[in-house]
Amino acid sequence: MANKPLPLSQEILAQFNLSLATGSCVPGPPRRRLGSISTHRSSKEQPKDQPLHRPMLLRAMTGPSSDSSFLSPNMSNSHISFSKRFSFAGWHQGGRVSFSGLYLPEPVQEIYKENTYRTGPEEGSRFSASRTQQITQATLDRYLEAVCYSPDSCSQLCQMLSDLVLSKLKDVNPPRYKLVCQVVVGQSGKQGVRVASRSLLNVDTDSYTSAVFQNQSLFAVAIVHGVYFE
Amino acid sequence: MEEYHPGDEVSFSPDEASNVVKECIEGIIGGVDYSQNKVNQWTASIVEHSLTQLVKQGKPFKYIVNCAVMQKSGAGLHTANSCYWDTTTDGSCTVRWENRTMYCVVSVFAVAIVL
Repeated sequence: MANKPLPLSQEILAQFNLSLATGSCVPGPPRRRLGSISTHRSSKEQPKDQPLHRPMLLRAMTGPSSDSSFLSPNMSNSHISFSKRFSFAGWHQGGRVSFSGLYLPEPVQEIYKENTYRTGPEEGSRFSASRTQQITQATLDRYLEAVCYSPDSCSQLCQMLSDLVLSKLKDVNPPRYKLVCQVVVGQSGKQGVRVASRSLLNVDTDSYTSAVFQNQSLFAVAIVHGVYFE
Repeated sequence: MEEYHPGDEVSFSPDEASNVVKECIEGIIGGVDYSQNKVNQWTASIVEHSLTQLVKQGKPFKYIVNCAVMQKSGAGLHTANSCYWDTTTDGSCTVRWENRTMYCVVSVFAVAIVL
């Protein structure tokens, strides 16, 4: 019976040495056994058909006996080497293990940003209404030049235009500015259309622009707002 | 006017905003037919009225309200929007309304501010 703990430790030692030699990741279950051994020496991972392990191990740890005198140096060596590994090499998954030997998820590391003491946009980087208008108008013209209105495809066209204008503006967007872009596309007919916009913004920092495109079969209106945010 | 208390956890509530906007639209163009002369002042009053009602809620947001009114003539109309913002705090809602002679589409965008 006292022999039973021996195979376990030697097997683990062998695997451990192998992993050290190769530098590769030790597969999960042996690791668990590693972890369980180092922490509290009586893990639930122990196979159930060997319930007498625990008393054997404890005895090996505590009492000097002919059996354990051979055992304890081994164990203590393995202890030292295990603890060394844990403190330096770390585990691939961050090394956090609950008492049952299951891996705990990595704690979310918060990123602490320093205060920049800036309360407004920088001098050269305000939202430029004229530049935005040029970009929006150019995008609409280039994209809708040869397009004909069709009820099935125009809803996708509208959404795509909106995303396209936004992506073009994101390249030139000054920092700390949020963008809102809306595109209205309709069929050119005999009807009248009116598009109006009102906003509650900070006039020092925020602005908006609009662009209109029209051809034989359709019209398009794009409105872009730039809003400063600290 | 509701007071804003710093430290409140607020995010945009689209349902509340759409109710406010629906009431505004009903009040202004509820039972009337499309008229080219008046559509300018209709759209202006819809957006202004919606904006003042939204601001009265006292939440720490900047608002953008867009309104499109179109005569019913069988032609199609599409609107789309895309926004570059913080999705946890900012939001939008769109209200579609129609009567016998016209369509009205109102979009509200709310961008959070730090007070």
